[in-house]
Amino acid sequence: MSSNVGALRLDLPVAGDRTERALIRDAQRGSVEAFEQLFRSHWPRAYRAALLVVGDAAAAEDIAQESFLAAVRALDRFDRRRPFGPWLHRIVVNRAIDWARARALRRESFSDVELEAAGEREPSAHARALAEGLALLQPEQRAVIVLRYLLEYTPGEIARLLDLPRGTVNSRLRRGLDRLQEAVRE
Amino acid sequence: MRRLFDAVPSDTEAEERAWSVVREAYAHREPVVRRRRSHIRPALVLAAVAVAVVAAALSPPGRAVVNAVRRSIGIEGAQPALFQLPSPGRLLVSGAGGTWVVAADGSTRRLGAYSQASWSPHALYVVAATANELATVAPANGQVHWQLARPAIGFPRWGGTRTDTRIAYLTGNHVHVVAGDGTGDHRLPPSARVAPAWQPETSQHVLAYVDVRGRLTIMNADRGIVARRSRPYMDVRDIAWSPNGRTLALAARDEVALFDVTTGEAHVVGVQGVRTLAFAPDGRLALLRGNGVLLVAHGRVRTLFAAPSRLAGLAWSPNGRWLLSSLPAADQWVFVQARSGHRVLAVSHIRRQFGGEPSLDGWAPEA
Repeated sequence: MSSNVGALRLDLPVAGDRTERALIRDAQRGSVEAFEQLFRSHWPRAYRAALLVVGDAAAAEDIAQESFLAAVRALDRFDRRRPFGPWLHRIVVNRAIDWARARALRRESFSDVELEAAGEREPSAHARALAEGLALLQPEQRAVIVLRYLLEYTPGEIARLLDLPRGTVNSRLRRGLDRLQEAVRE
Repeated sequence: MRRLFDAVPSDTEAEERAWSVVREAYAHREPVVRRRRSHIRPALVLAAVAVAVVAAALSPPGRAVVNAVRRSIGIEGAQPALFQLPSPGRLLVSGAGGTWVVAADGSTRRLGAYSQASWSPHALYVVAATANELATVAPANGQVHWQLARPAIGFPRWGGTRTDTRIAYLTGNHVHVVAGDGTGDHRLPPSARVAPAWQPETSQHVLAYVDVRGRLTIMNADRGIVARRSRPYMDVRDIAWSPNGRTLALAARDEVALFDVTTGEAHVVGVQGVRTLAFAPDGRLALLRGNGVLLVAHGRVRTLFAAPSRLAGLAWSPNGRWLLSSLPAADQWVFVQARSGHRVLAVSHIRRQFGGEPSLDGWAPEA
């Protein structure tokens, strides 16, 4: 676990009167209830972040799920003085970027049709426009936009999460946002 | 912009699927006892180490260590032996201890000193191989019907109809095909060391194999005519036909490709590192990757099971309700319920029962 995420704020309120730190402590001691509360608190944003970066519901589910499995594997080593959300989001977004890059490199000789997610709910017009706009961006641009506007990290926090210079984050945000707003307006 | 992001739907079904898998992984994790900071002087540390060494020497030799290792790499609560299969059918396994048939009630029958085997299309016979001999045997008693001596035999696979069957196998870097009665053995073009696969549900003898350039090749084995050939794939590990014979799956280093053999179109599943593929009778596809089993169904990929250590081999029960894989490091077999609930049943001491680590060669219906 990288120490440079330690300064990030806790970005998610946790249901009930138990603090996230207490939940992590109890989960480390074997409480399924505590771990489920952590999972339920963080799943929606983890899944949506992955979905917006990769644009594929099945892949997003796999990425979010694999990220939680990584969290299970590292749970006992997790320093509960640090917030859980930024650490999880770092895994999710990096895996999503890797997946999106790999997909861009894969091209089939006959066809390059990805498996479509069955049973996906009909998205709203806004969500569809957003997805179409994000698809025009590079995976790295998508990632910083998602971290900034869905997960609400500051540019400085994004820089620390992705191990990038702050200027790179700002330029990706600016260019990505310009293209995205054009696409959404259209 | 914020409102747009909030409009992105979440997926509660995905959340429930993921929670069932993550909960399973959490239940099987081994909590670590945290070390407290201390300021014990070196002399005391040395004394503590000496006490620990003495205690270890006085304990039953190695048992505690072995048990601790097994807990960390295997499934807790495993049965001490294979008493029965969780589903009807007969399981075929092979390894250093020979080829065995395991009945649903857990009884085992050794067919001979073979290292690889597979069922005939209707599970009436078994084709088995040693390094230099191919044989067809009766699963009830191991009686040999015919034998064929060939060098460096690998991956025997039996396909065809009830009345006319063919067996494909590899020798060195060539695929061979021989009729089910042992006649007409002939050699096909060079092949990679990947198990060939016969197309089911067809009156033709159509064989899929991977050529030396990594291209998936579909051939009429009687006529020697290539029907389709893919682009080269890097490091192909496994291929498998869907039960209806319409889809051919290929696992390569960086991807899994699903070919519609009618149109030739390929759909890519973005999963890297898959080593083994297995179709369920209803068409669901299981992928073995590292410590995990993934399931491809209705266009979705999800993790069905995550093990504490590396898995090996996959076999579906004939009714499609259970998946069997092996945890070699823990000397265990793991049965995972693939329909609902994701129950996990583990069995230990597999090597002792089968005289070595066996490969999973197929789970066939009752005769």
